Amino acid sequence: MNIHNYEKLWLVLAMVMIIGFISTVVYGATAVGIEMVNDEGGTIDSTALEEDDRFAEPRVERVGDNEYEAYVVARQFIFEPDPIEIPANSTLTFYVTSPDVIHGFEVVGTNANAMVIPGEVTELTVELNEPGEYGILCNEYCGGGHHTMEGKLIVQPEDEFEQGGNDE
Amino acid sequence: MSGENTVREIGHDEFDPYGTLALILIYFAILSVMWVFMYFVEFLGNDLTVLA
Amino acid sequence: MSEQLESGAPTFLDDYPKEAAVVKAALWSSFIALALGAVFGVIQALHRTNILRLIDSTDYYTVLTAHGVLMVVSFTIFFLVGLFTWATVRSFDRGVESIRYTWTWYGLMVAGTLMAVVAILGGFVPQTDISADVLFTFYAPMQAHPLFYGGLTIFVIGTWLAGADWFWSWRAWKAENPDERIPLQAFMVLTTMLMWYIATIGIAIAVVVFLLPWSLGIFDQINPLLTRTLFWFWGHPVVYFWLMPAYLLWYTVLPTISGGRLFSDPLARGVFVLFLLLSTPVGIHHQYVDPGIAEGFKVIAMTNTMFLLLPSLLTAFTVVASVEHGARQRGGTGLFGWLRALPWRDPAFTGMMLAGLMFAAGGFSGMINAGMNINYLIHNTIWVPGHFHLTVGTAVALTFMAATYWLWPQLTNRRLFSRPIALAQVVIWFVGMGLMSNAMHVMGLFGVPRRTAEPQYEGFEFVTSFGSITELRLQLAIGGTLLFISTVLFVSNIALSAGAPKLSGLGKPLSEPLSGAHDSPEILDNLKLWFGIAFVLVVLAYSLPLASIISRGGVLGPGVDPVPMIIEPLGATLEPLVASLQPLLGRLAAVVGGVGA
Repeated sequence: MNIHNYEKLWLVLAMVMIIGFISTVVYGATAVGIEMVNDEGGTIDSTALEEDDRFAEPRVERVGDNEYEAYVVARQFIFEPDPIEIPANSTLTFYVTSPDVIHGFEVVGTNANAMVIPGEVTELTVELNEPGEYGILCNEYCGGGHHTMEGKLIVQPEDEFEQGGNDE
Repeated sequence: MSGENTVREIGHDEFDPYGTLALILIYFAILSVMWVFMYFVEFLGNDLTVLA
Repeated sequence: MSEQLESGAPTFLDDYPKEAAVVKAALWSSFIALALGAVFGVIQALHRTNILRLIDSTDYYTVLTAHGVLMVVSFTIFFLVGLFTWATVRSFDRGVESIRYTWTWYGLMVAGTLMAVVAILGGFVPQTDISADVLFTFYAPMQAHPLFYGGLTIFVIGTWLAGADWFWSWRAWKAENPDERIPLQAFMVLTTMLMWYIATIGIAIAVVVFLLPWSLGIFDQINPLLTRTLFWFWGHPVVYFWLMPAYLLWYTVLPTISGGRLFSDPLARGVFVLFLLLSTPVGIHHQYVDPGIAEGFKVIAMTNTMFLLLPSLLTAFTVVASVEHGARQRGGTGLFGWLRALPWRDPAFTGMMLAGLMFAAGGFSGMINAGMNINYLIHNTIWVPGHFHLTVGTAVALTFMAATYWLWPQLTNRRLFSRPIALAQVVIWFVGMGLMSNAMHVMGLFGVPRRTAEPQYEGFEFVTSFGSITELRLQLAIGGTLLFISTVLFVSNIALSAGAPKLSGLGKPLSEPLSGAHDSPEILDNLKLWFGIAFVLVVLAYSLPLASIISRGGVLGPGVDPVPMIIEPLGATLEPLVASLQPLLGRLAAVVGGVGA
């Protein structure tokens, strides 16, 4: 086996780069605390969402101080509830599922981006600090009206939310 | 095997691909800088990181 | 550049006329798919950027399905079987064992393609129930017509038989040459096919066990996460199935046309072994943001994927070093000055070099795709098609076109119709893809989704940090148009070459590697060993995730109904169509004694 020294050098550098990439991702997962969407959302009978207390009525629920949960149904070709309203400075966990086909759930221009698969519940938690509005779109082809499938996430100033959003 | 444009034959032991080494080191530098930019600026600097 | 055309050597057509006919047929099948795919491609590029809308947006997805399937199944794989037949016959220096058998697998692949294409194009005809608007990934519970799944099955069986043809040649050759090393090109063909046999287990189970009987109404429900995971079991290694023929050309043809010799045969063999081992146990990296798969499995997929960069990075060095060897033999000097000594007027050379350069860029966006959590940033945005138009869409496609300029005269004994047009064609592709892919990558970072007819929403706008969406859309559309023009130039150049006069002596022998096969350890040629290890790695990587998916949702799902993908233009609801399918499904189900639809 006749490998040139330059090639050996490149082999070493390539390995260093690969290990560097893996280390960066591990740093993001541990030090920054970024978690991947995983199997903790559980399964669900997608033909009977109306019998599920979370998804029969898609909604946002307050579950603690500054902690909210949004039960979202992504279906051809809408997101429910729409808009999703939440006060600023809160932690929001999305639970998203689908009664028909695979969809995408993307809060536009952010890292909140996941697949929605019928039979599975996608769970992801984000922190919403500043008031503002985000678009939500479906980024997995789901049928002829796919390009119209959009929604909204509205982060309201805390004082305004108490007045407008408390009566659910 | 030599084409008609060959002006000299170079065997394995007399060939040091230092031009290739230079190009590949430039590529290595670009990849490293771009990776750091994409991960730490574009990704970690972006809104709504998924924390659980 | 006529000196390269007049070596006086006999051509492949002179030596193996029967095999040359099969190779030509396979390449023509590939180019027809490319031409049709390009028509569908430019329609999309102009439609989604709102420059020119020739179709209804609901039909966009029929167009997209056709573009995807024609390009990445028909164009790439027909080229592969043609090239691999050429490479096997050439490097063993013996004809195929049975030309009838060879035509049989080619015929199966054509039949399979026609079935799938009919099913897809049926989507344009509202009067028929035939349709397959399910895109290249055909994720259940979207349901295509059984013809679509049946066509895919027959096509894949054709490729299996093709692989068997090349193994058959190997056995026959080995019986006569028991002590020789496997010739390099044949080695590449055989390792690639071993990888393919392992990879297609996933798609075969997904289609034959689940999707086809399900589309026939034999059972109603399906586990979408399971079929999706089986799809990606195949869906990642298939990209290496597209890429390996390009690697074969870079390793064995590019050094010769640059005037040099392959730097290292042992390293080339090592690279193909690494691809055999690592291509398959990585598919879950397409599912980083899927629910229902534990994070640990995603970490394993990421680690494997990152190490899969290694053979490509090694290839970059070996191939560029071989080209540098050519440049230095041609009198090139200096740290970078040797680049000027290369045959840039040769379209085959320039095309492959530009393809390699774009692959270096595509390699970077692939590294981002591989990085598990950074996937949140770009998953299912138009960044992803931006990436694979650099890899399969340029590294592979442009290399195939460039190699055709070199190979075609040896298959036909006729010169190319026009070398200047060929040179312009490869440059136009490079420029067009540079524009289109750049715009796609940048828009992806702003969250613009892929696979969408009209990424123009009512409730929000995409926020750009530099450039404007309008400018980027224009860039994408100009790039897509240039690519279409380039494809037309390519296909018409090859077609017009049929009118060139017959010549003899157009053969172009390949140069021997600087460091030859005898420098490489014998163990590299132990295909059984590598196949065994590759198989074990796949079992290790997939058995637990698949077991977990099945134990969570069941083999036939946690309760998910089929959603037939027949899209009626004008936005009519799906219900009447579903209703019209019910009797058919019911009858079929009754026949097999299953549960009625």
